Amino acid sequence: MAESLADYGLRKKVKESGQGQLKLVGIIGGGSMGREIIQIVSQRGINVVFIDLTQELIESILKDIDAALSEMINKWGLTQSEKRAIMSRIKGSTDYKEIKDCELVIESINVKQRGSSVEARKEVFRKIEEVVSPSAVIASNNSSLMISDLASSLKHPERTVGLSFITPASTVKIVEVVRGLETNNITYDFAIRFVKMLDKKPITLYESPGNISTRLIITLINEACELLMEGVASVQCIDQTMKIGYGLQFGPFELADRVGLEKVLKVMNNLYQEFGNEKFKPSPIIKRLVRANFLGKKVLKGFYKYENGKIISQAITATEFN
Amino acid sequence: MKIIVFNCGSSSIKYQLFDMTKKEVLAKGLVDKVGLHGSYIKHEKCGEDSVKLEGEIIDHQAGIEYVLGILTSKTRGNLKSFDELDAVGHRVVHGGEKFQDSVLIDSEVIDKVKECIDLAPLHNPPNLKGIYAIQEVLPNIHQVAVFDTAFHQTMPKYAYMYAIPYSLYVKYGLRRYGFHGTSHRYVAQRACEILKKDLCDLKIITCHLGNGASMTAVHCGNSIDTSMGLTPVEGLIMGTRTGDLDLGVLTHIMQKEEIDLQTANTLINKHSGMLGITGISSDMREIEEASQKNDERAILGLEMYNYRIRKYIGSYSAVMGGVDVIVFTGGVGENSPSTRLEVCKNFEYLGLKFDENKNKGLRAKEAIISQDSSKVTVMVVPTNEELMIAEDTERIISALK
Repeated sequence: MAESLADYGLRKKVKESGQGQLKLVGIIGGGSMGREIIQIVSQRGINVVFIDLTQELIESILKDIDAALSEMINKWGLTQSEKRAIMSRIKGSTDYKEIKDCELVIESINVKQRGSSVEARKEVFRKIEEVVSPSAVIASNNSSLMISDLASSLKHPERTVGLSFITPASTVKIVEVVRGLETNNITYDFAIRFVKMLDKKPITLYESPGNISTRLIITLINEACELLMEGVASVQCIDQTMKIGYGLQFGPFELADRVGLEKVLKVMNNLYQEFGNEKFKPSPIIKRLVRANFLGKKVLKGFYKYENGKIISQAITATEFN
Repeated sequence: MKIIVFNCGSSSIKYQLFDMTKKEVLAKGLVDKVGLHGSYIKHEKCGEDSVKLEGEIIDHQAGIEYVLGILTSKTRGNLKSFDELDAVGHRVVHGGEKFQDSVLIDSEVIDKVKECIDLAPLHNPPNLKGIYAIQEVLPNIHQVAVFDTAFHQTMPKYAYMYAIPYSLYVKYGLRRYGFHGTSHRYVAQRACEILKKDLCDLKIITCHLGNGASMTAVHCGNSIDTSMGLTPVEGLIMGTRTGDLDLGVLTHIMQKEEIDLQTANTLINKHSGMLGITGISSDMREIEEASQKNDERAILGLEMYNYRIRKYIGSYSAVMGGVDVIVFTGGVGENSPSTRLEVCKNFEYLGLKFDENKNKGLRAKEAIISQDSSKVTVMVVPTNEELMIAEDTERIISALK
């Protein structure tokens, strides 16, 4: 029979939780980035509840995480028992009430329809605030919208912060921690501690559309498209130059394919709208590819063609689709 | 004299309360899942059934406070008040080159233990948390640190250096340190007590065979070589660790499998050893069962495991110019007659005469398993690191008075 420990405290209360210990994190949306965040948080020993739209989606997300962890075992990065422990920490639900005890909730939704996702994300923020405690921190993974904007309809906007992960989140060692206009120090420090708990380096910055990472990488992708349109070089040559020449993890086209061209387009539009600067204006190539449903790796065609998750050839040369 | 011994891991705390006058354990237990969901303390007051106490234990500080609370409680306690407690002993994994023996903990010692964090990033920080927790709750009590590495500090330089650029030793302290020192020291001493011989007169090879495994050549009471190195990966084949490995194999794997450093570390620490070879388990009992059913890889795994130990016995006999006593300890060493039998084969040239009858069925008991006429005495001595830590603590505290 198990007894309660509470009777054996030396002081009346040994120590209350909430002092830097994080027990439960909520994640809204199990899209590709949501899934990665669920995985890395649970891998650090923290329990995760994620919310998605349907039970089928939840099951497929759990299946995907299971498969990703199995792949890590195959690649020697994890053991079976560690995987079991990680999976046991993850719970999915369609009901926002399940996140009520979370000390941190991260919004990471995918908005399918064209145009800005501001309203959809604001709605998610509102739904989160309805159920969580007043001290819970509410974060968004989105990098091209302003955190203050998303927080504007909340009762406690001071508890919001941007936590922008870069894909693949399991290996990229930084997270951008974005301070909105009203973000208070408690929230900001908490977010920094959380990032450190994930064994990543927090990059601290003030809100600005695209943060650091997206703003720089988007211009790189756009300029790469310019080179391609001008017929200066092939997709491969441009990618290799940046990948091998400058040690980037991915070349601009490979990266765009991985992110998903419709997302790239959306981010470009957001930044163009915010800054009004031509350098963010989406390249016609990207628009064409998105219209033709060449959305990138997940549909096996984008700037490249894919088979079994690997690039087999480039899909377009200059302005021609192959 | 009453002493508590703590062994603080990353999410667990093992503890034992000793009465040193009779060298008996009054209570012991485990604080588990510290800082995690579902934390609890499993406590056993000796002579009573063990009890599981559940509740939130948010950090090591809270865990240790609860342990002290239990030990002084009316219902389950052994102590009327903390005045009855004389000292606290801590297991500290890495003492680097700074500690040759156990020490009384003061701020200088703490600073030095902190300096060793680089060498044991997973172990020294929780060890320190335990020390801080006691400082907080019982600021006036003496605390002693007992290091896993200290016993091996007597190794000569030619035994502990790696043949890598010397500057790397100077820069990062990269050398062999060895582990399980408290266990090797305990069983070597205990073997001499049982044999009624002086430690200084003997050449002893101690085999600590558990899930982690290491061997030590103990000459005149000093460790002169041990099989683990900078990290616990070197040496014997273990449950899930490679033991000695050609470095070229590792770089080759990293290149072929396209894995990063962290993954390579998991590969050599968690996917290798007996588990990696047999594909069955890291648990020797399961592998022995499979080998009895003629599982080829289980048989191969056991052959490799025993062969590696024999190689070390051979080389340690060579460096000491002979061997008087071989001691088996640790989960496998104490409980696997077949491992002891296989390991001791082919040592007739050393004058070792193994006694199969004494060995057969012997588990977790002090015993001599060689024949009376054997020149090399082979023994089983169950390890007791906690008692060693308590004894060191007593020795150091007594010297203060």
